[in-house]
Amino acid sequence: MKTIDLTQNKSVDNKMLYVGQSLQKPDAINKVTGQAVYTDDIDLPRLTEGRLLHCPHAFARVKRVNTDKAKALPGVLAVLTHEDAPEQKWSRSTMAEALPDFAYFGERQDERILTDICRYRGDNVAAVAAENIYIAEQALELIDVEYEILEPIFDPFEAMKPNAPKIHDDVNRNIAFQMDHPFNMGDTKKAFTKADIVVEFSGVNSRQKHLHMETDSAIASFGEDGRLTIISPSQGPHLGKKHLSERVFQDISDGDIRWISPAIGGGFGARLALGLEPVAILLARACGRPVRVTSTREEDFNGYASRTDQHQTIRMGAMKDGTLVAIEQHIVSDAGAYMSHSGTTSLVNMQKTLGLFRCDNVFGNVKVVYTNTPVTAGFRGYGNAEGAFIVQQATDMLAEKLDMDPITLRTKNIRAEGEQSFFLPCVLEHTKLQECINEGAKAFDWPNKFKGWNRKKDKGRFKRGVGMSILNHASGAGGFLLEHSSASMKVQADGSANLIISPCEMGQGILGALAQVAAEVSGIPYDKIRVISGDTDITLFDIGSHASRSMFVVGNAVSECARKINAEIRSRAVPHFQKQQINVVADQLIVRAGEIFPADQNDKIITVGEVAHDEIYNFTDKGSQICATGSYLSTSHHPNHQAAFAEVEVDIETGHVSVIRYVVAHDIGRAINPVLVESQIQGGAMQGLGFALKEDFVLDQKTGEVLNDTLLTYTAPTVMDVPEFETLLIEDPFEKGPLGAKGVGEAGLCNPAAAIANAIYDAVGIRVHSVPMSPEKVLAMLQNEGSKSPLGSSCVSGQRL
Amino acid sequence: MKMLATFNVNGSDHDTVIEPNMILADILRDNLRLTGTKRACSGGNCGACTVLVEGEPICSCITLAVLVRNQQIETVEGLAELSGELSPLQASFARNNAAQCGFCTSGMLMTAKALLCKNSFPTREEVKVAISGNICRCTGYVKIIDAIMEAAEAMQTPQDQSGKA
Repeated sequence: MKTIDLTQNKSVDNKMLYVGQSLQKPDAINKVTGQAVYTDDIDLPRLTEGRLLHCPHAFARVKRVNTDKAKALPGVLAVLTHEDAPEQKWSRSTMAEALPDFAYFGERQDERILTDICRYRGDNVAAVAAENIYIAEQALELIDVEYEILEPIFDPFEAMKPNAPKIHDDVNRNIAFQMDHPFNMGDTKKAFTKADIVVEFSGVNSRQKHLHMETDSAIASFGEDGRLTIISPSQGPHLGKKHLSERVFQDISDGDIRWISPAIGGGFGARLALGLEPVAILLARACGRPVRVTSTREEDFNGYASRTDQHQTIRMGAMKDGTLVAIEQHIVSDAGAYMSHSGTTSLVNMQKTLGLFRCDNVFGNVKVVYTNTPVTAGFRGYGNAEGAFIVQQATDMLAEKLDMDPITLRTKNIRAEGEQSFFLPCVLEHTKLQECINEGAKAFDWPNKFKGWNRKKDKGRFKRGVGMSILNHASGAGGFLLEHSSASMKVQADGSANLIISPCEMGQGILGALAQVAAEVSGIPYDKIRVISGDTDITLFDIGSHASRSMFVVGNAVSECARKINAEIRSRAVPHFQKQQINVVADQLIVRAGEIFPADQNDKIITVGEVAHDEIYNFTDKGSQICATGSYLSTSHHPNHQAAFAEVEVDIETGHVSVIRYVVAHDIGRAINPVLVESQIQGGAMQGLGFALKEDFVLDQKTGEVLNDTLLTYTAPTVMDVPEFETLLIEDPFEKGPLGAKGVGEAGLCNPAAAIANAIYDAVGIRVHSVPMSPEKVLAMLQNEGSKSPLGSSCVSGQRL
Repeated sequence: MKMLATFNVNGSDHDTVIEPNMILADILRDNLRLTGTKRACSGGNCGACTVLVEGEPICSCITLAVLVRNQQIETVEGLAELSGELSPLQASFARNNAAQCGFCTSGMLMTAKALLCKNSFPTREEVKVAISGNICRCTGYVKIIDAIMEAAEAMQTPQDQSGKA
């Protein structure tokens, strides 16, 4: 990892104690000792275990269910079917509660907790609660269901035909949602006719699985007071409880729910959607005891979430000098059986993809289609990796036609600071994308590695090539979502503090990074800040950990809160100094690492502990614990940027692609904790490499069965796939970020597929139209000499070439 | 057919009632409440459930408990000293941010321990081969390799001759 500091000529405070340090995160010890508590590790008095019965058909109507035998099994406490489930429909996505009216188009509430119309193989038909998991399993086998089998439909393009069977009665041609991009502008048709060069590229991505190592799990219990406690690995419990009480359990109000998110075994966007919580609640109600429902890995593959497969076509038009004059994007997204996040991810794809380059004529349109396939959802990157795969290849095609270096064409067209942003109708306040490109290219040795469009390919079986990709991503979705957050702090009598914040820790290290901000701004030492999160009864409202928002939005709330704490400490320290005959006012005091001293007399020290103790335990006329709350509302997206460079080797006899080297430069503003930032980028890049080359989701085209539903058959990247990595952090503090920081959580995943695809083209001259760019696909294209091969039409398994 | 069985875990004997079809991961987690060992795939495919039996790393999610009665079993809970001091591997994982969500971490640590007990000076390539059966979805593996290499080095320094990984 290398940090490139662009601030050398600016006057910035370089005397920070904690920010910029790779400090150990607070949850590290529990994670290396096995003491971290995940949902499945929790035991409660009288806890029962729940299991679900899934439909074995892709599309079927439940004609009759007989649960008598299951109910009679000793140890069974409840057996529920659609007759016991609320009629109210809900969406696994909770975003309906966080979107303003103008963006509230696509969030259809379309699913019941237990259904009599099964819309995918794996849909939830019945639920059982029993004394233990073994009895629950036995009970499932005793439930007798008679199905009327309906004609399923798996291809979104077939599903849109006028005579296609309707998957949801109230949806014509199975189009759940369609819209033009809200900020379309100019006239692309006219612009394309005037353009000197026009390119078009289309393709589709597979349904990458999140593959959080902890499968989905939820515990629901009702207390003596009637309040509901949910324990689950949720990325957004505050929105979750609002959503559940608003959409499903309308007799429960928001405040009746306490939602605890313990340690989370990976999220990647999946936990943004609701999972097993509603059925756990239903079972807990029915049997009057706490119920835990946990899914197996196979259930996770068959029923939980994956990336949405987005079929895209992008056209770009440019003048001879490389100036981009028109860009158009059409997306058909396959939601699966229920909509969840598929609409919003498609919209965000357009927002990022069409927003990257400066262009006066822009048009985007999206259609989201139901099929009888498992439900898709939001996934780290939220449409950006899908879009980058298409638009970055189209950009390279344009560069080739213009005989320009890919860097030159991109440099000519990226948006600069002060120009109009396309994310929202506002000005782009901060971007260091050009610096990312420049520094990344230097580290990669691009000028020597890229040998021009007409170079001779390598001789022999193994052929090398290089490619690049750039992107913009949000640091929170201000202006679109309810982007506010609040944090609180209280100072204990020994000078330590509790920092109470909402983000759920799913591995990203956000609790540590936020504690570093709190320590820097408040003056309380980092190791004396104890972080509390993941309990909606304690934490303040926040929409959850997603959209690369926590560092930026919550960080600003923490910074504001810590600033107030710092001010409180200083003003309450004044009498202590006066006792020592030192006359100061609060503004003259500095609090640093737990010590308070006058700015001009740093040998006169009082500790924060002395002041804090006195405020709590001194019997005088005053007495109040030092505490504060800080809030922040973000009104824009404040994009972070990234450039990536990949070198690959293609084995032309097997089609296997190896990534040899990967250099990535990220526009971070300021890295609060460089190791945490690098970890996000490396982890994202490996997920991106899996997305690019390995991870497929294969459905049987006759039955709708997921054919690779284990960690053996679904090939996730292992340590053997790790290339030589180089990470560059481009630092230039952004004045609106907390101590200058911007987001980083998602960007790492979004570049690899695009950069690798461009590198494959450089190596062997083929453009792959779908991810994963797996050996059989690459080989088939090599054998067809780069022409589009008609290999299969499956969208779900990404086989469309 | 219930039976009373004895498991020697982290140096102590534990008696518990089992059925012959019960899986070691379930016994450790549910009967002995040693929940540091994780169930992530229940098919022996991801390594999150790795424990050591007589020093060998095995997937406890596909191991019948009855087969490892009275054998030396070591889990993540046995790595640190009784005083709470972390083992060199644990300290290195924490220092290098090699544990992100933490769900694969126990299995990674146990696999790495088995490696270091047999090979005190592994190359990066040997480390990669050793943990190639352990899936991590968060870190991109780089920091895990770094952490194991650094722990191996730390164990060679004169300050720590205990050889405890």
